Amino acid sequence: MPSTDFLTVELTEIPDVEEALNPTEVVGFYRDTRECAALALQSGAGNLLLSPPTPRPKKG
Amino acid sequence: MEQSSTSTPLTGAVQGLASELASALRSGGRFRLAAGIPDVHGAEANAGLALAAVRVVGADAVLPSVLRRAPAEADDLALFGRAVHIYPPAADASPVSVWSHWAMKQTLRRLDAPSGGGSDRAAEAGPEAEPQVAWLADVPWQVLTHQLALLAPLAVPEADCAVADVARDRPVDVARGFVRAVRRRDWLQAAGAGRWLVLLDGVPATLGLGAGLEFVAHMGGDDPRVALQVEAARHLQAGARP
Repeated sequence: MPSTDFLTVELTEIPDVEEALNPTEVVGFYRDTRECAALALQSGAGNLLLSPPTPRPKKG
Repeated sequence: MEQSSTSTPLTGAVQGLASELASALRSGGRFRLAAGIPDVHGAEANAGLALAAVRVVGADAVLPSVLRRAPAEADDLALFGRAVHIYPPAADASPVSVWSHWAMKQTLRRLDAPSGGGSDRAAEAGPEAEPQVAWLADVPWQVLTHQLALLAPLAVPEADCAVADVARDRPVDVARGFVRAVRRRDWLQAAGAGRWLVLLDGVPATLGLGAGLEFVAHMGGDDPRVALQVEAARHLQAGARP
């Protein structure tokens, strides 16, 4: 038996390669306020898209 | 998003390989792919698992050589080529799997060329047509970012393929996807998207990509796969200097 034949046999027994190559996107959850603050600090000037939106004036 | 907690032998092998690659990129040290692989004649199951891990990590399994433009060792290339040979995409494989395999073959061909060719590795990794990319062209930005992150090994300085063209055409969408990934705590997707963004023109300056990548490293760097993508992005940002 050629020296690498066993590899084919072995590898067919590892079924999750395709799944590992193309995993579905897992349902996520959003960051908490502390992490927002940490990221805002890292962004320096605060002009990061990750920053919270600018407050708008209240109507009336 | 916390990364998947599902642990399998393959997951562990992938994490181990990613960890070694990230460490080599971070330190600038030498990386030997074959060094971590058991003797194929002595530990068949482990060797099979390691080859599967190489296939999953894809072209990034030899990323230090690619980024440093340094020749790879013959046994590293042989191992890489073996993973390419043993894991061709199935007929019903996902486009990501097909492109990942194509990228490995292209990388193998590129790295093998300086050795003068003539090896069976070069023969099996010869030039071939790119897979089709229509599946990616018009997808929503969320899907685009997810798919590009899975194909992060294609984000290299010499990236010249249809997937890279799609990314170049939609920098703002990829930036938006990066933000979404961070907000969802999907550090692996964020790191992969960030790696692409480093290579793209037209990324909004307001994104704060550098700070964003550091944040991803801070929050998700415990996952070696995240660390690998962040280190790759850093190298690309620095112009991939050795």
